[in-house]
Amino acid sequence: MLLFRGPHWDRGLSTQELQAAMDKVMGWFEGLNERGKIKAAQPLSGQGRILSGGNGNLVVDGPFAESKEAVGGYLVLQADNMNEAVDIARSTPMLKYGITVEVRPLLAECPIFQRHPDVAQRARDRAVRADQLLAAAAA
Amino acid sequence: MSTSTAKSDYLLLFRGNVWDKGLSPAQIQKVVSDWMAWFERLKAEGKCIGGNPLEEEGKVVSGKQGRTIADGPFAESKEAIGGYFYLTVADENEAVEIAKQCPGLEYGSVVEVRPVAEECSIRQRAAEYSLGQLASATA
Repeated sequence: MLLFRGPHWDRGLSTQELQAAMDKVMGWFEGLNERGKIKAAQPLSGQGRILSGGNGNLVVDGPFAESKEAVGGYLVLQADNMNEAVDIARSTPMLKYGITVEVRPLLAECPIFQRHPDVAQRARDRAVRADQLLAAAAA
Repeated sequence: MSTSTAKSDYLLLFRGNVWDKGLSPAQIQKVVSDWMAWFERLKAEGKCIGGNPLEEEGKVVSGKQGRTIADGPFAESKEAIGGYFYLTVADENEAVEIAKQCPGLEYGSVVEVRPVAEECSIRQRAAEYSLGQLASATA
């Protein structure tokens, strides 16, 4: 997954420069799409909320777009490996205007399991037991 | 049963993926089980159409032509994104209500609720400029 951070890269560009930049961005995107590299992609609105605290009772309202760290959109790549993902990230035209691209592999299983093998083992045991119960019920 | 209600899409970004620090294996087991059950329930209800944990390894690409490449891991930061859910719900209130159910909140996780935009706001700005150009050319 590519996370695009710094949604205000258009600031300071003239409308003409912006038009040219946008054409490049769209061309880049369409090229990746034609090569079958894009599984999903979406811009995020600058609005939104951040919840924290027990039960999520602390709520901060957006917009978040002012921050250089804010995520402005994402792209789920179909890449063969990390090198290919990084190469694609490096070809992002918006980099020229100061955004950063975070490249993160998607996982099927929670990384907490990697840190706590005992917990992972118990979860697997539980799944096996559930399968056994289902098999017993079906028999 | 929903009839003609338009659905909106939201991304839940889970930040602070070190909620397991200081918890016993049994507590971790409970949070992980609750989290997985929550995800499965939302999927069964048709409110969540996907989600993934993100690997703690990764890269951050920045600079012109992506010249600067920094290595993850991201787990140490409280701001780091550890995973996401893609929600399709009635409105922002429903998205926030769902976010409040996140089992990690009690242990310091932060949930960012972001509306998915149909079109990039910068592209809209560029498109308005093109229309303006066209209008003045044909005037």
